[in-house]
Amino acid sequence: MIRIYRQLLVAQIQAAAQYRIQAVLWMLFSIIRPVIFLAAWTAVSSAQGGSVGGYSTADFAAYYIAMTIVGHLTTAWNSFEFEFEIRQGRLSPKLLRPLHPLHYAVVENLIWKATTFLPLLIVCAVVALTFRVEWHGEWWHLALFVPSILLAIALAFMLGWVIATATFWLQRINTVNTLMQRVGFMFAGQIAPLALMPIWMQVVAYSLPFAYILAIPAEILRGGVTLERGLIYLVGQAVWLGLAIVAYRFAWRAGLREYSAVGA
Amino acid sequence: MLRYLRMFRAFASTEFQFEMEYRGNFYLSILEMFLVIGTSIAAVLVMFGHTTTINGWTLPQMIVLLGVYYLIQGGVNLVFSPSFERLMEHVRVGTLDFHLLKPVNAQFLVSTRHLRVVRSADLLLGLVVVIVGLVQVGEQVGFAQALLFALSLVFGVMLVYSLLLGLVTLSFWFVRVENLLAIFWAFTEAGRFPVDVYPLWLRVSLSTIVPIGIAVTAPANAIAGRMDWIGLALLGAGTVLAVGIASALWRKGLQSYTGASA
Repeated sequence: MIRIYRQLLVAQIQAAAQYRIQAVLWMLFSIIRPVIFLAAWTAVSSAQGGSVGGYSTADFAAYYIAMTIVGHLTTAWNSFEFEFEIRQGRLSPKLLRPLHPLHYAVVENLIWKATTFLPLLIVCAVVALTFRVEWHGEWWHLALFVPSILLAIALAFMLGWVIATATFWLQRINTVNTLMQRVGFMFAGQIAPLALMPIWMQVVAYSLPFAYILAIPAEILRGGVTLERGLIYLVGQAVWLGLAIVAYRFAWRAGLREYSAVGA
Repeated sequence: MLRYLRMFRAFASTEFQFEMEYRGNFYLSILEMFLVIGTSIAAVLVMFGHTTTINGWTLPQMIVLLGVYYLIQGGVNLVFSPSFERLMEHVRVGTLDFHLLKPVNAQFLVSTRHLRVVRSADLLLGLVVVIVGLVQVGEQVGFAQALLFALSLVFGVMLVYSLLLGLVTLSFWFVRVENLLAIFWAFTEAGRFPVDVYPLWLRVSLSTIVPIGIAVTAPANAIAGRMDWIGLALLGAGTVLAVGIASALWRKGLQSYTGASA
């Protein structure tokens, strides 16, 4: 398995090297939304005399910069691509290979993140300077962030695949994707840190998987949680990841039976 | 002029017939738009749960702004972006020849030939949001204000149009410009808040490189009573200039188009 992955990595790096500019441009999508909401919350905070519900202007900056990094690292686009692959008949040859299609996607995903991470950090540094960020974390926040972001990356990726399998039944999953994106927009902590949402929204947010992908790793990275809270969050992330994997295995097996192989 | 309007009607009706072949998709797109606008309003409401103004903008004014954002986006997505998508394809494949041979203004044809009729629902929804916001604003909106609003809205759309035309024209030289358009779309999201909340570097890039900031904020300003005739005149002059530059660039680009078989 390791040998296979090494080969795939080499091949994917070569492929990615041809689209360097493209890769960097797509990175802009990770940055623009957090910066927009950071600007808006900065305006709210200054209208309220420098802090809102325990978040100072500098805390907002820290939260949204953490959010940019987390959002970038947890990007997963398979639910958008999969429909296209089926429609174009590209899935069938992949299924014939001895390796599960998932593995190609894993490598593709990791390479993109690895190659765009440095430019992202540079832009984040610029944003951090303009918004005068302050970091109030402890060393263990960083230690906690490592497993948290890994869980979040895996969860986002697997969730993307669960949604992608819906294509087997629905053919077009545009609407499903939009629905997921918008629910994520509301409840993942993009529009506001979870603590600033009305209580009912917080309840919904903590019972959906989206916050475990974005808001929770971002809060941990910014140093906004106690140790016990952080550990509970990690458990929540692990539970959601487990659920996503089970759902995926089930849906994939059932979906393949439904698959009628366009273009075969 | 009348001839062009008739032509536009013909484009719209053929495209509508085409879209109605995928009826399910048509209705789902409308549903999606409800979702998008609903969640955007919810986001603004969450913010205003903690404050009464953002940079001097009250909640009703912000709702008007959001409505304008979707109005402009809807307008651009209704006509210009589907047409320009095809234009880029025509340039790449070389089938632009067929457009150029027709006895009409080529710029008109490539800008309006294809419509995504379902996006007119966005226009409608955007309008509803604007009206809801206006009712909340409460003060009487006079005739002058309404006129200012309508004119700045038209100017805003034309500003965005000229930028898009300029970007797409670059495809005559660079062939693949989808990535530039992708950046454009990424930046348009910034239009959901008034341009004055952004830090200077972002504001400069929004208002000059991506005029969506101006396009959205100006009409909302007009409703909020923060726009006078001088402001409108400046906006109008800027728009005329932008459209002029974009169509000059278009003609220049057309000269370097070599066609499919040449």
